[in-house]
This record gives sequence, C-alpha cells and structure tokens, in this order.
Amino acid sequence: MLSRNVKRALLESRWPLPPTFLLPWAATLTTVSHATEASNIPPPLVNAGQHVSPERLERRHDQTSSNTPPAAAPTLQPANTSTPPALSESVRTLLPVLAAQGPHYITAHLYDRPYLLTAGDTVRLPFHMKNVEPGDVLRLNRASVLGSREYTLKAAAATPALKSPSMSSSLVLDETTGSLESHSMVMPEPGVSSSGSKIMPPHFVPHIAAGKVSYLDERLFVCRAVIMGVESEPLRVKEKTKRRQRKIKKVKSKHRYTILRVKEVRLRGPVSAAAREMQSGLAHKDYGIPSPPGHWSCAVRVSLSHIFAMPGPSYALKIFVMRTS
Amino acid sequence: MSTPTRFFRITLLRSAIGLPTRTSGVLKALGLHRRLKTVYHPVTQDVAGQVFAVKELVDVQEVDRALSDKEMKQLRQPDSGFYVERRAGERVMGS
Repeated sequence: MLSRNVKRALLESRWPLPPTFLLPWAATLTTVSHATEASNIPPPLVNAGQHVSPERLERRHDQTSSNTPPAAAPTLQPANTSTPPALSESVRTLLPVLAAQGPHYITAHLYDRPYLLTAGDTVRLPFHMKNVEPGDVLRLNRASVLGSREYTLKAAAATPALKSPSMSSSLVLDETTGSLESHSMVMPEPGVSSSGSKIMPPHFVPHIAAGKVSYLDERLFVCRAVIMGVESEPLRVKEKTKRRQRKIKKVKSKHRYTILRVKEVRLRGPVSAAAREMQSGLAHKDYGIPSPPGHWSCAVRVSLSHIFAMPGPSYALKIFVMRTS
Repeated sequence: MSTPTRFFRITLLRSAIGLPTRTSGVLKALGLHRRLKTVYHPVTQDVAGQVFAVKELVDVQEVDRALSDKEMKQLRQPDSGFYVERRAGERVMGS
C-alpha cells in the first residue's frame, strides 16, 4: 500500500548528484551532503551519512617503533561546499614527500574487496567482470591506503557498531522545582543525531556497518588498469549422490576470471611541481579527466560505504583537496 | 485504516535457539526468521508489545519510512570501485 508513495518519492528525487563522469552507476545511491532536518530526510536509497576523519600520513620506521602522532581531524562542513576543506597538518606537509618517493602502492577496492597494487602488476580478479572487453581502461577510484617505502596515506576508519543509537539523554527542565537535575531518555529523531552537529543516516543497518572500510579522497590519486583478457579455470566436475543411491548426478563448473594489468599508480593533489614532474615522467599519458591548471572545485563527497557507519564522534570525511593557483 | 506515519525498524541480532517456544513464536510473528534480518512494522501498541517480548534479541529504531526488500538489497550492494574510462579502440581524449 506504500508502493505508490515510494515510487513517487524515488522518481521526484530532488537531491543533487555529484558529476556523473566521476561516478559509476551505483553512485546514484549516494548523495552530496547538505544540511538536513528531520523533515528533509532523503529517500532511503540515497545516502545521507556524513563522516569526519583525519586523512593522516604516517611514517613507518623499520627499526624504531615511534610514529608521528595523528594530526587533528579536519572540521566537518556539511552543507557549505564553496569553502575549501582543510587537510590535516601532517597530510599537507608530508604529501609532497610521499609523492616524491616513488614507486607507490595502493590498496584499491573493487566491490569493497581490497587489492594491493602497484604499477605493472597483473591481477587475476576472483570474478568475471561483465560488459568490458580486452583493451578497456578502468579507473579505480576506491582506495583505502596509498603509500611508498616510508610513508603511508590512509583514511581513518569509522568505528563499526552493532546497535543503533536508540537512546540519548537530554536535560529536562523540571517545571516544579526549576532544576536541571532530572534526565529523560528520549529516542533521537532519525536523521538528526543526538550531538546536534553531525547527521545520522536515516536507517542504520548493524551488520552492514560492521565490515565497512573508509576510503581516501579520490582526487588524491590516479590508478588505472587495463583489461588484459579473461581466464578460465580447469573443468571441474562435482558428483552429487546419496548413500545407497546408485544414481550419480554430475555438475560441471568452469568459471571465468578477468585479468587486469595496472598501468599507473600516482598521486594528485597539493604535491610540489618537482614531484609531479617526476611522477609524470614515469606514468603514461593522462587519459583521464583533464584537470584545469589552477582551479579545483570543492565539494564534500559522501560514499555509500559510509552510510552505515556508527554515528558518533568520528565519521570518515572524504574531502577534496583545495589547490591554490 | 490510515497510513502509519512511523515505523519500527527491527533487526534480529541474537538467535532464539534454546529459548522458550513462545519467544521464537514472537519472532516468527514479526517475520524475523534468521539472524540479522530486518523488518519494518508500523508503530502500534501490538507491535510494541511484541518487540518488548523479545527486546533482548533485537535492535529497534523508529523511522519514517519502511524500506522494501528490493530497496534494502540495493543498499547492501557495494560500490564497484571502478569505472570504464576508455573503451578499446576509442580515440584518446585530446589527441
């Protein structure tokens, strides 16, 4: 009986989408962040989760165990996409150093499965990728870790939780005595967090939130891979039968797997000109979206993987890098 | 009957194996046949009583809209993590 309302709500969706050339089809399930109230909750198919996390750069020492302390988290700017988002201090200072220290590796995620890649790797995916042909160039845009020999860039993980935040305490003014000592436990409005500054996803799914990884901002790196072809396993036959049953049923399996070859893994963003030249000398010609010389558009991007993160003190924010011309 | 405006979003987190038959009967009435299944029920006194009977096993939220199974499945789908930048045989951009 709700199908007509659901269909109407889905069709007249008024939430702006990120640029389509940056996103695969499934990105229609994501939404750009904006200030929301309880009445402005988007349709559940559209993600409304927001996160803040520091994208911190860590220095790895093989001998010593000391690490640079994680930098402060950048502030969350939910609805204001015109102001440049701030990078954490360590990222801003160490990103050029990371970029200058090639070669780089990346942990790219395909369908949320991680693959540790570097330029020149041949990857046999555990599935057959549909609607692609040998020679197609893929742009991998989900990565959780990007590093070099001594430096690693990673996005902070959102804390998973199994239970939705069902209770929040709020101070209630006692009308009889006028004191603020009595507490009442109230359910928070969906879409409005108890803290008031962060925004909760409208629906919290505990088991999906458990395994989610937070990703790097996709404007910080470029990772391209080309489809080499399709490989198939040897024919295997599974015999199915029961005890004291003479009939044996044979089931054939011969799965196919897509082979990729990683063409380039490199950094973008506020890296120094020298590091960029060094990277571009090694990488192939950039076939991707041409970046204008000195101007980056800023937006706060929210991905579906964060829809179910625990609303709390830490959200993973994928922020764009503002490069001053 | 008026359309309910608020829904309970009930997720079964703990199994009822070993519990009295009445408890598993309540879960069956709610539609929670396996762990981590999520169902939507309108906010009424009946449903609230059912949830109260199995309150140690479930996670409950109050939401405005009930999602269908298809919508929930679409939410579960992970991001592909890639997009096809250039098809084989296409001309290179800018050259």
